[in-house]
Amino acid sequence: MDNALTSSGMKKSFGRSLLYTLPMFLITFMFMTGGRPDFSRPASALAMVVTFLLVNILYFLMHYTGKTDKLRAILFIIFALSLSFTLINNMLETRNSMSFSQADILECKIPFCHLVIPMMILPAAFTNSIIFPGSIIGGFANIASMVVLWLVATLVLGRGFCSWGCFYGGWDDGFSRIRKKPAIKKISEIWKWMPFAVLIMVSLTAALSLIPTYCDWICPFKAVTEFEQVTSVESATKAVIFVSLFAGLVVVLPVLTRKRTQCSFLCPLGAINTVSNKVTPFTIKIDKKACTECFKCVEVCPLFALSTEGIKEGKVSVFCSKCGKCVDACSKNAIHFGIKGVPSGTMKNFSRNLFLFVSFLFMSVFSAGSIINSLQSLLNLIF
Amino acid sequence: MKKVKIIAGITWAFICLILIIILFPGLNSFSASAAKLPFMKINPNYSGGEVAQQLIATGCTLDIRKPVFDGLIKKRNKGFVQLDWRGNVPDKIVDTIDYDLDNKPDFCIFVDRDQSKTVLYPINSKVRDIIISTPTSYGWAVRVELIK
Ligand code: SF4
Ligand code: SF4
Repeated sequence: MDNALTSSGMKKSFGRSLLYTLPMFLITFMFMTGGRPDFSRPASALAMVVTFLLVNILYFLMHYTGKTDKLRAILFIIFALSLSFTLINNMLETRNSMSFSQADILECKIPFCHLVIPMMILPAAFTNSIIFPGSIIGGFANIASMVVLWLVATLVLGRGFCSWGCFYGGWDDGFSRIRKKPAIKKISEIWKWMPFAVLIMVSLTAALSLIPTYCDWICPFKAVTEFEQVTSVESATKAVIFVSLFAGLVVVLPVLTRKRTQCSFLCPLGAINTVSNKVTPFTIKIDKKACTECFKCVEVCPLFALSTEGIKEGKVSVFCSKCGKCVDACSKNAIHFGIKGVPSGTMKNFSRNLFLFVSFLFMSVFSAGSIINSLQSLLNLIF
Repeated sequence: MKKVKIIAGITWAFICLILIIILFPGLNSFSASAAKLPFMKINPNYSGGEVAQQLIATGCTLDIRKPVFDGLIKKRNKGFVQLDWRGNVPDKIVDTIDYDLDNKPDFCIFVDRDQSKTVLYPINSKVRDIIISTPTSYGWAVRVELIK
């Protein structure tokens, strides 16, 4: 039965969709409220209720409409915006500026983010220490919890982390959706190997200098989080680099190409997540019997994970982030969420349901704190 | 074989489901365990190194850290020593420092906190320059460049 699904075959009835949403409803309720909702402060209660409803309505709609990508992207983009808002707000409140000072570095007060992980590995192995001025445990964005979160997420989701977990990915995902049609259609696929070159380069330079070189010199997301105070020619050069990379790879190119160019061409953690795609049980599969080789999926894939040759052979590359865009685009339901070991074309609904539950649960719980925080700050500003 | 693969795949998927469900409630204890791993400490190039001497004056403490020359595999030729003044730090700091504990002064340092001006008077030829001199939440910190 499952095998003969049409494009709308992932749709469920209202009642069934509600039933599928119930576990998410209960778990997110427990995570967001600790089982005891607190209505004593109206702004925080309202922010919590709105966030709770948002995630559960989105999840319900994934089941009810049978669509994944657009609904996922709503939460993913809100996550990116709210995280930046929370961080900037926090910086402005505590330091009156988005830049951190030498004292913040000396006192190891810099919030840690998962993009540092690729540069930590070699120095940790050789020097038994972490080359980042953050806090190991306790405080905002500490190293130990970010490492645990990323490790579990990359093990479970593989590169799915890049569409369901990363609080930066929503930026270029968002910009890649602005135009209806791409202005630039042809981009050489060779560029998708670039993150591996960046990974090797930053791992080696970080190991040799014991400085997280990607954060220090390259990371475009400093434009929407925090950055070093501009006090010298060196810090000014760094600012020019990260602002240009943000403008080029996160804003302009995604708008023109409808691709996630920063994630496809630069991010070294994306390269590591690509490797961990080999471990995760969840994957995207092609049902060759149902595929008419229209290649719509290849056209829409934002991460260059599909090729016409690959589709003909029934293969999806390791660059796939399981965003579900190709699945939604396929009118024959030939490309679908799957589980490794399970033959393609079978158990489509079961695989999608299981994957959606795991990935959406991760994203909703991971993002809830910063969304609630941002809403609360906005409500406090308004009232 | 096909059946074994299917069962293995689905079992792994369910293990992942359980991992995600326990991840957030268990995050604090998982992080506390991760923090105990041997490599989970901040590199001295950032933390400033261990405190080697503590000089206490009225209301103000000066921590002189161990010189840091740490490189990836071996010690580097260039390093630094970090000084932290904590507590009731005077507006004008004048201190003579023996960072290598040989009972001979290595440098004198003068900090005018109001003017944000720091002057280094090297005595030992291994003492080079000021790398950082900055107010901190606990007082004032200075890093002085050294060579081996
Ligand atoms: S490629 Fe990098 S920035 Fe993009 S989603 Fe993945 S980890 Fe985040
Ligand atoms: S192959 Fe499909 S699911 Fe994977 S990244 Fe491309 S569009 Fe998203």
